[in-house]
Amino acid sequence: MMDSPAGWPQGCRMADRNASLLPDTHGWAAAPTLPSALGAVLFLALAALTTYLTQDSLPEPSGLFVFFVAVLLASVRFGFWIGVASALAAFATFNFLFVRPLYTFAIAKPGDLLVLAEFLGVAGLTGFLAGRLREEANAATTRAEVLEVLSAFAADLAKVDGLPAIRATLSRHVAALVPGPVVVLQPVADGFSPDAGLDPGLDAADLQAAERALRRHSREDPAQPGQQGGSLAFLPLVQAGEVVLILGHAVLGPNRADRAVREQAIEVICQQANLAIARLTLATTAEEARTSATRDALRAALLTSLSHDLRTPLATILGAITSLRELGNTLPPAARDDLALAIEEEARRLSHYVENLLYMTRLQAGLDLHLSWVDPADVVRAAIARASTAFPTARISADLPELPMLQAEAALLEQSLFNLLDNAVKFSAPAAPIHVTATVGQDQIAVCVADQGPGIAPRVQAEVFKPFYRADPGRPGTGLGLSISNGIVQALGGTLTVTSPLRDGKGTRMCITLPLPKASP
Amino acid sequence: MTKPLILIVDDEAQIQRFLGHALAASGYDTAFAATGQAALAMVASAKPDAMILDLGLPDLNGKAVIENLRARSGLPIIVLSAHDQEMEKIMALDLGANDFITKPFGIGELLARLRAVLRQRAQPTGILRQGGLVIDLPGHTVHLNGQSIHLTPTEFDLLVMLAQNPGRVLTHRQILMQVWGPAHGQDVPYLRVFIGQLRQKIETDPAAPAYIQTEPGVGYRWIAAEA
Repeated sequence: MMDSPAGWPQGCRMADRNASLLPDTHGWAAAPTLPSALGAVLFLALAALTTYLTQDSLPEPSGLFVFFVAVLLASVRFGFWIGVASALAAFATFNFLFVRPLYTFAIAKPGDLLVLAEFLGVAGLTGFLAGRLREEANAATTRAEVLEVLSAFAADLAKVDGLPAIRATLSRHVAALVPGPVVVLQPVADGFSPDAGLDPGLDAADLQAAERALRRHSREDPAQPGQQGGSLAFLPLVQAGEVVLILGHAVLGPNRADRAVREQAIEVICQQANLAIARLTLATTAEEARTSATRDALRAALLTSLSHDLRTPLATILGAITSLRELGNTLPPAARDDLALAIEEEARRLSHYVENLLYMTRLQAGLDLHLSWVDPADVVRAAIARASTAFPTARISADLPELPMLQAEAALLEQSLFNLLDNAVKFSAPAAPIHVTATVGQDQIAVCVADQGPGIAPRVQAEVFKPFYRADPGRPGTGLGLSISNGIVQALGGTLTVTSPLRDGKGTRMCITLPLPKASP
Repeated sequence: MTKPLILIVDDEAQIQRFLGHALAASGYDTAFAATGQAALAMVASAKPDAMILDLGLPDLNGKAVIENLRARSGLPIIVLSAHDQEMEKIMALDLGANDFITKPFGIGELLARLRAVLRQRAQPTGILRQGGLVIDLPGHTVHLNGQSIHLTPTEFDLLVMLAQNPGRVLTHRQILMQVWGPAHGQDVPYLRVFIGQLRQKIETDPAAPAYIQTEPGVGYRWIAAEA
């Protein structure tokens, strides 16, 4: 193989490549081959031997029939030309060995010439008919094969989910149709992917042909035998004026009867592959549009939330601090204390919000989990302690049995649980009880937070886990808490479920269900 | 002497909380409303002397409150707005709000604005004295430090409109509508030229104006000279 032309990156292996060797089929007038000639000679030798051994016991014409059979067999088996050659050879041999004068080619009776003509006629006709029959049979087999390939291809194509799958399918099925290598190239910025220059089956001329197909958007045929050029045909698959794939395949010999039907099949396959690519592109575009719309909605909600939830605490903090500084002496002590408390509360609120925003960002970027063995009871207690500090008036109790260890990230799980508690406190009457329970199942553990708040109407239960959803925009809050809880729990392989109302049309229970690890620590 | 009553209209409890303490310590009585409807009811029942109004209310838009109020009262209104509520703010001023302050703000700034709007309640007529500037409204004459200044009729109208509203932000639109008429509401570049001419005639240093202050993107404010 020649050196790869400059511009093709190194270090890539051909992936989508298949080779198949089809049994070559011949037309009725195909040129004879040496094995078939030897076969015909063998038939004649057997005929001569048989005639020789039986000439004393059987009447003379029977030898002629034996040779006749040999000629027929040679015609049927080896085709027209061998048949005709066999006829001549049979006549000559019979004449030489068994017709008086023996051991000469002399023809004593004019009737013998008639025998020769009969021999030739029968052999030619038989060879022709047998060849045609074989051709028809071959054509039928080819059609069946091609149909099978086409239907298998269509079936496989229905299952593909991306360009690589289409490439592999295309390559595999075309390989079943041609007697030689098949490559599927994808044009990339500086050549082809996979790197065609490294493929041992592709020489520089093939690469040039592929490039021409890419440039001209048209089929490139291989060079004629004896001429310089590539050995493969290249077919570009064009989508919206751009070549997406190039199929390179070995071609069938020009004399092959099934060439046309196989090449048609390859074209059909290319068209179908092209349709499949178009379908995938459409699906991708629709999916992208959907994602983009969701992203935009999320961004808008984030901006609104940022402007509101960052500004209000900041305005309070700045206003309260300037009041303390500028009006310090005129403010009564109780007012000074209250302003200081307001500053503290708003700073906490800001911190909580920023924390949630960071979790949100982390979740959206895809959590990079650092799993370790975690005692869920510890996490529950830590979350309750944090919530009790943040909401001193809340009445949070817990009922925790012995719990198995989990594979999780403690801080994440705590945040998720804290957000549930935060939510329960927010929607409960002051000092209404909030109860945390944990239950262990066969292969999972559930931690539930139940409150006696107003409950969540069934039709909005799916909404509450969406980012920035707020049941009551009048209450302070960002609409991030539950969506973060849900995101974290899902990242940990669990589910967050909501049950509401619990009794008398009131109360909500949120349960974090996490899978238990297969092995214990 | 009774303390002025300030009505604070904001749905954020924390904002109400610090404003309440600060205003009480500064010698004001305070009343609170969390919604536009409640604010309108309070204006009718409590008769406040000024209103601090957040533009982002949960029920009525702050602008609707101003529109409703302006139909029947000249109650001074200071609008609380956010940086990205520029258009809302200008519309609120166009509708008749007296001033604005952008969140977050220091309390000193708010108290100064409040004092200014409370002072401007009685609109002066007759002869206006502002530092060395004497504007004779009926006589259509202006004197600066005893010297007579020649003003075109439009310049005079512009000066009077500004000087009659000391401390108050007048939007481009409000000035253009009153001085030039309703057809000229959008001719801001025109207004800029006239303000420039007026400054040349009345300001000691037109590059650092003492009387006519620019509120970028909003309008102009007349700075009342301390008497």
